[in-house]
Amino acid sequence: MTSARLLFQRIVLRSLKGCVVALALCAAIPAVAKDRLTIGITQFPATFHPSINSMLAKTYILSMTRRPLTAYDADWNLVCMLCVELPTLDNGLAVLETTAEHGAGIALTFTLHPDAVWGDGRPLTSHDVAFTWEVGRHEMTGIASAELYRRIHALDIIDDKTFILHVDRVTFDYNDLGGLDILPEHIERTRFANPSAYRNKTAYDTDTTNEGLYSGPYVIDDVQIGSHVVLGRNPMWWGKEPAFDSIVVRVIENTAALEANLLSGSIDMIAGELGLSLDQAISLEKRHAGRFDVRYQSGLIYEHIDLNLDNPILLDLRIRQALVHAINRDRISQQLFAGRQPAAVSNVNPLDKMFANDLEGLEYAPQKAAQLLRDAGWGTLKNGVLINENGDPLTLEFMTTTGNRTRELVQQVLRSEWKAIGIDINITNQPARVFFGETMTERLFSGLGMYAWISAPESVPRSTLHSAYIPGEHNGFEGQNYPGFRNERMDELIDAIEIELDEEKRRTLWRELQEIYVTEVPVIPLYFRANAFILPKWLKGLEPTGHQYPTTLWIEDWSVGQ
Amino acid sequence: MNSSSIPYKQSPPKALWVQQFQNRPLGVVSIAIIVCLIAASALAPLYNFVFNISPDQVDLLNRFAGPSLSNPLGTDELGRDVLSRLLHGGQISLFIGMVAAGFAAILGTVLGLTAGYFGGRLDAVLMRFTDIVIALPLLPVLIVLAAIDLGELGLSNTFASHEYISLVRIITIVVLFGWTTTARLVRASTLSLREQPFVLAAEAQGATPARIMAVHILPNLTSPIIVSTTLAIGNIILLESALSFLGLGIQPPTPSWGNLLTNAQELIWEAPALAFYPGFLIFLTVISFNFLGDSLREALDPRKNKAVE
Amino acid sequence: MLAAMSFVIFVLIGLMPGDPIDLMISANPDVTSEDAERLRKLHGLDQPLWQRYVNWASAALSGDFGYSRIHAKPVFDVISPALQSTAILLGLSFGLSVCIGIFSGVFAAYHQNRRLDHLINFAAFAGISIPPFWLAILLIILFSVILRILPAGGMGTVEASSLWESARYFVLPIVSLTIASVGSHTRYMRAAMIDVLRQDFIRTAQAKGLSPSRVVLGHALRNAMLPVITVVALDFGALFSGALITEMIFAYPGMGKLIFDSIMGNDFNLALIALLLATAMTLLGNLLADGAYVCLDPRIRLAGGSR
Repeated sequence: MTSARLLFQRIVLRSLKGCVVALALCAAIPAVAKDRLTIGITQFPATFHPSINSMLAKTYILSMTRRPLTAYDADWNLVCMLCVELPTLDNGLAVLETTAEHGAGIALTFTLHPDAVWGDGRPLTSHDVAFTWEVGRHEMTGIASAELYRRIHALDIIDDKTFILHVDRVTFDYNDLGGLDILPEHIERTRFANPSAYRNKTAYDTDTTNEGLYSGPYVIDDVQIGSHVVLGRNPMWWGKEPAFDSIVVRVIENTAALEANLLSGSIDMIAGELGLSLDQAISLEKRHAGRFDVRYQSGLIYEHIDLNLDNPILLDLRIRQALVHAINRDRISQQLFAGRQPAAVSNVNPLDKMFANDLEGLEYAPQKAAQLLRDAGWGTLKNGVLINENGDPLTLEFMTTTGNRTRELVQQVLRSEWKAIGIDINITNQPARVFFGETMTERLFSGLGMYAWISAPESVPRSTLHSAYIPGEHNGFEGQNYPGFRNERMDELIDAIEIELDEEKRRTLWRELQEIYVTEVPVIPLYFRANAFILPKWLKGLEPTGHQYPTTLWIEDWSVGQ
Repeated sequence: MNSSSIPYKQSPPKALWVQQFQNRPLGVVSIAIIVCLIAASALAPLYNFVFNISPDQVDLLNRFAGPSLSNPLGTDELGRDVLSRLLHGGQISLFIGMVAAGFAAILGTVLGLTAGYFGGRLDAVLMRFTDIVIALPLLPVLIVLAAIDLGELGLSNTFASHEYISLVRIITIVVLFGWTTTARLVRASTLSLREQPFVLAAEAQGATPARIMAVHILPNLTSPIIVSTTLAIGNIILLESALSFLGLGIQPPTPSWGNLLTNAQELIWEAPALAFYPGFLIFLTVISFNFLGDSLREALDPRKNKAVE
Repeated sequence: MLAAMSFVIFVLIGLMPGDPIDLMISANPDVTSEDAERLRKLHGLDQPLWQRYVNWASAALSGDFGYSRIHAKPVFDVISPALQSTAILLGLSFGLSVCIGIFSGVFAAYHQNRRLDHLINFAAFAGISIPPFWLAILLIILFSVILRILPAGGMGTVEASSLWESARYFVLPIVSLTIASVGSHTRYMRAAMIDVLRQDFIRTAQAKGLSPSRVVLGHALRNAMLPVITVVALDFGALFSGALITEMIFAYPGMGKLIFDSIMGNDFNLALIALLLATAMTLLGNLLADGAYVCLDPRIRLAGGSR
């Protein structure tokens, strides 16, 4: 039996070698001129409406067909996309104001790009913006995040291209209006007649291929639910002409099948935003370095472990620090992610302007961890598990979502490291719907909870670290401070950062915030997830961003190179 | 065998069916393979002891290692010993297959016997119920059941989040849907058996229904029940792997062949052997149980014996 | 029956934890609890389960099956393309499987207990026993990656200029579905055929000096089809939702995948209708099986005599 298995294994290995040779041969054939680009992603959008839900797949596709008012560019600077000039206090387009009703606020003057038109030739005007605002702030529309629309308390139309927004508070990111997804009034107005039915009537879902809905380089030509979306050139596009006649976005949820599609040539590239996991990409690069460019970009998805501070064991700071000292995050990064996904120091991304680069996290020091645990009263080993003087074992529950392979792998490594110093870890994972639907939101986890936040540049951690945002009965489970972190200084810093307009002063505040985060350890930082873009050698001009605006927002810069 | 049961025995004497069975090389090979697999899985702790490893011992500096003396089948993506994980996975998969099939057979037998023996309205109700269960689209219902929150069913949270709860859950689900085949089979046989002279005689002697069913009818049903249960084990192991593929089966870090295979499929390009082993073991086990069931059926079937004479 | 099923399914889905809104906000710290509350109300999720069922049922009775939440379209707009895709896939693979199954089953029965029979028997069991997604992955590796002659998954797009271009996408899913089901069809056919061949009227026919092929095709096959048709009809209903795994691996947008996504995505309206359809198909399979039995039974009784 064993010899038969070995024989079989040899056959498999041999055929695999054959496959590598075949692929190497194929790679030698030069790429022909391409007028179609086929992109593979792993998720199909639930809706094509720009503001109903915030699914990444939708943003990825719509970024080729629409333009936001403002966006962060590849260097994380805020730039105008649909507007002509970014309003700032310096250039006078942003003016501080105080109204009787709303208190201190700010007025922002935007001018839309003079050539901006919808795909059916109708100009994109201030009236569209006003309509969007009307839709966004309506109670019954069903828009996921209405915060931005609620903050705008008035809108003045100056002319067809110029308008003034009056915002009811002053925040440092006052001119970031990337969340304002402008809708075409001439199409959507009649469908909005009954606002509560709007989310089912919107032309984005009932008439998705209507070119009048789009204002980007491409329009949607064909949609096959669950399978693919075909984009064609927008004849009315007013910007730089893109290189490809059509873009096909193919959805293949199973990543092994996605990779097979890439290798068989059914797709040209795999999107970094929604593609292979990092270890798959690293292994693909090893095997097919000659055929594909693999680009890595660390991003805004912050993987971390929340520690429930209501657990008496975890309430002890020494134990929290010991947990961090006991794990070698650098080695995990090195061994599992080939160093492409460095360990995070805090909740702020190293690419962020506000990152404190002089700050260091707690280092890997198992002896120190053991000492801390002894100090905390857990000094005796019994059957490999530390016990305290009452004989209670040091046991912690460790939860994460099932089905996320990378997370499960990291979890098992961490458990193994904690076990090595005598902490008994009990893994009880749950499907995402339970984990996020109940366990975290109602703080039902008793020990460690591992998951990710998607943030934005300079995103203030109010809902995740401010003590008023600890979800519970008392506040109707408002907020996402799942660890239950209460720190007066942290609360002050969060309040101060939000309204501090001066960048240097803000940086000081941010530094202190990160310091508290690292020393108090309400959360164990793991890493910022890196995206792997698998590109054909001939594709040029794609710039991974690392933030919430996908690469497709600059699709007109992509081209076929040598 | 007590003396009173001898006259009712309809199946061929044991010696004959053993002989019949031995004439079927596939059946013999199958049973040898199954015994080997069960023994190997059961001896996993011994293996761990000898090689001084454990199935969840992570070694990041020794990932994807090839076969060696210390790791006979190499290591996986976390440097864990593959053979040890396969053996422990085998424990879980075989355990699920056999326990779930066993419970399903018991439930099916009880329901089938009751329906067949008492007949009338009870029979009608039970068989209608069987039809409904059969009419349920299996896989989607399994998906729903596997996703149900046990907390909402009133089970305590500590129980609902226990490390082995997915094991209990899968077995329960399979039993809930797996009993119908046996129930139908047993009912059909019971219907004809209860008209047999020896049953009528026992009834005339005033034996209770429970006694008649247990002592007079059941012994005559053992062979079809054994056959259908054997065939069911293979199906259940396949079902477990399918559920694991959908992320609803046994949850890591507890290994099962299903989740080992699911996990390995993402690594299929880098380490095809990792996907090959569990897939092959599932295949081998399922096909062995199928051949075993088939051989048993032929060996135990009195009609076939005549044909072979 | 369907009404009862709809209630059972509704309750089962309701028992699943979390709700769609939690999923929507799960990874996005920007969505406030105010937003969540508003959305919950908007989607009617603040009402108790039974109330939602009553609402759903009364709307459904008046022909309004509601909107799919995860696809933002009326339920049937989402289901009908998926239904079509699945019908094509299943129709082809099922037809293929039944044809091959009948042929090889008859062949095996005719050569009973000889080497060819054992070979077919072994192959049939191998097909039944192979884990479907393992098989699919092996097929992808062989045909898409090593030989590079077939696409690894998906469906033809506008780029499909010829019939072959779009047909190529069906080959691997059909092959893997066929391999998975042909084994049991072969086995049923073989068993039924052996049963029939052993009966008196066949011996009579053979004694009359008819050629073996006449006996098999003319007399035996027709009689052996009855039990096979019954089993095959039952199978059909199950297949309808059972192609799920194949559909997932080959990224084929069919019913199985739709059901899975709707359940996992907590899409009440869609999951309900899709599951009800699946149940209806199974029931239909049962009815067909019964129908076939009634149609063919009298002749069998006359020909086969009592058993």
